[in-house]
Amino acid sequence: MSTSEPRRFDPGSRALVYRELDHPADLWLEVRGVDLPNLVENALFALYDSMVALERVEERREVTLHASGASAAEALRTLLAEALFLFATEGFVGVAAQVHRLDSSTEPGSGDVRFQARVRGERLDTTRHETRAEVKAVTYHLLDVTREASGAFKAFVLLDV
Amino acid sequence: MAHPPNREPARLTRISESIWEIAATGGMRVPGRVYADEASAGRLGSDPSLDQVRNVAHLPGIEGYSLAMPDMHFGYGFPIGGVGAFRVDDGVVSPGGVGYDINCGVRLLATDLDAADISGKTGRLVDRLFSDVPSGVGSHGAIERLTSPALVQLMVRGAAWAVEQGFGEPADLEHTEAGGALPGADPDAVSERAYARGLDQVGTLGSGNHFLEIQVVDQVFDQEAATAYGLREGQVTVMIHCGSRGFGYQVCDDYLAVMGAASARYGIELPDRQLACAPVHSPEGRRYLGAMACAANYAWANRQMIMHLTGESMQKALGLSPRSLGLRLVYDVAHNIAKIETHESGGRRLELCVHRKGATRAFGPGHPEVPSAYRAVGQPVLIPGDMGTASYVCRGTEEAMRQTFGSTCHGAGRALSRTQALKRAKGRAIDRELAAAGVVVRAQGRKTLMEEMPEAYKDIHDVVGVMDRAGVSPRVARLRPLGVVKG
Repeated sequence: MSTSEPRRFDPGSRALVYRELDHPADLWLEVRGVDLPNLVENALFALYDSMVALERVEERREVTLHASGASAAEALRTLLAEALFLFATEGFVGVAAQVHRLDSSTEPGSGDVRFQARVRGERLDTTRHETRAEVKAVTYHLLDVTREASGAFKAFVLLDV
Repeated sequence: MAHPPNREPARLTRISESIWEIAATGGMRVPGRVYADEASAGRLGSDPSLDQVRNVAHLPGIEGYSLAMPDMHFGYGFPIGGVGAFRVDDGVVSPGGVGYDINCGVRLLATDLDAADISGKTGRLVDRLFSDVPSGVGSHGAIERLTSPALVQLMVRGAAWAVEQGFGEPADLEHTEAGGALPGADPDAVSERAYARGLDQVGTLGSGNHFLEIQVVDQVFDQEAATAYGLREGQVTVMIHCGSRGFGYQVCDDYLAVMGAASARYGIELPDRQLACAPVHSPEGRRYLGAMACAANYAWANRQMIMHLTGESMQKALGLSPRSLGLRLVYDVAHNIAKIETHESGGRRLELCVHRKGATRAFGPGHPEVPSAYRAVGQPVLIPGDMGTASYVCRGTEEAMRQTFGSTCHGAGRALSRTQALKRAKGRAIDRELAAAGVVVRAQGRKTLMEEMPEAYKDIHDVVGVMDRAGVSPRVARLRPLGVVKG
């Protein structure tokens, strides 16, 4: 359900978008999406929401992220790693996203999958923004993207914190 | 090429009071050995970290045992609390055996103050430290942003670079594991991304389980060693726990991808792809060790700078001269690292690549790498507990050299997952609970405080007790927290 403009993340509806699964030390997330681009948008939401309370983050700057991978799962991980790199080096916190899929594969597990994400947000300002976990990396551990019988998508992502 | 995984749950057989063995079955090249007391061995039962101990035993060139310390829990490929020693000749090096936070470690500072000297001033002191030492998610800006050539110097020279910049004294280096710099650092093996993440974060604490803590020596168990370390009951100490920040995380991330391809190229059969590795002598293995050394040295420079910032901050908060504060480095240990060391094993002297992932080096008396002032009693081993309970100073032993390649536990280890801890902490004011127990806490993140609350961790007394009874790292002193800065 991609819109033409980046759509703002709604922390109030977090529970519909992702949940944290039980893991002894890290952040293990289960993310849902109505289609693959929406899954990636929601995974970006989950990543930023894990690092910063988003309510007071404003849409002051737009960045475009690109990622590709041999599977949807790998492309998703790479995109999240790009977002994390931008957070780590420039303090960029996203609060709205719109994702396009640039390849033509039909199955989540096959071929070269490419995503482009337009993300809006601003630089972290700890005088206004409450921080949460320090994410060290978006890992390959337990990484998975599956399509459910309903046609919806589900991703499992483990963030090392 | 994957090995068929062991389907049977790992069975623990008791070898001695504190040691439990997992027999070598299937593709395991050596047995596993787990240090635990009876109660925790019983709880381990079907814990997936036992499978990880077993998986590590499959890797080429592993020597002796795949070891796990009593603070073990499930990690990325290797368990946290795991020790794996691989022969340099025919063994491997694995980024998963070091972890993301390369050279995460602990630094202990002694002062000339007594707890009574800061009584009633702990709040002020902690506030000051909280504002002077950058902490929290993405913390940066402790010093002016580094240039790339300066970062290269830091990567190669580690803590010595920080001392040259005016952060501390040359004598500090002697009291730092490896002198505060691993040899063989190869800045060309470090990606541009790691450079970018490293430029602005040196001198910062970070977040999560990292901390800066004001403590008091609560009890001395070994007077001779405590005296050698310059510790006495009632004395104020400072403990710093942090690592290589985003720089190290990026190095690990980069090399996990490299090693994934390398394992296949060298025909290494992996029971779990998170154990991706390459022969120590291969180009990939050498490059990883070169990049890892850069990150390890970054961490030593980082803790060296934080020590200096801490000293200045304490002087201001307490209105003391450097001389009356008397801040000095007791020791600094790494607990996420791979090092080339020589050990006796099976009657042979071997060059080994010892992976310690959530494990602390514990070299015994007489070892040339133990500082001369401590050589008679063994290396100081620093084991932080949770923020409401205690931390320990222990000492390395000959027994550690015989049993564990000179290694021991690194902390309490989590008992509750973060989600369980958040549930448990809901509706509670953890900072007020700690204050009532005599511990002043300041944290950037409210959520961090809940996730890090004392009951989220195993009992540090039990964990340290297992290694004490095993004769690996006997207790020297217990440190009780008075004030804590969390990220």
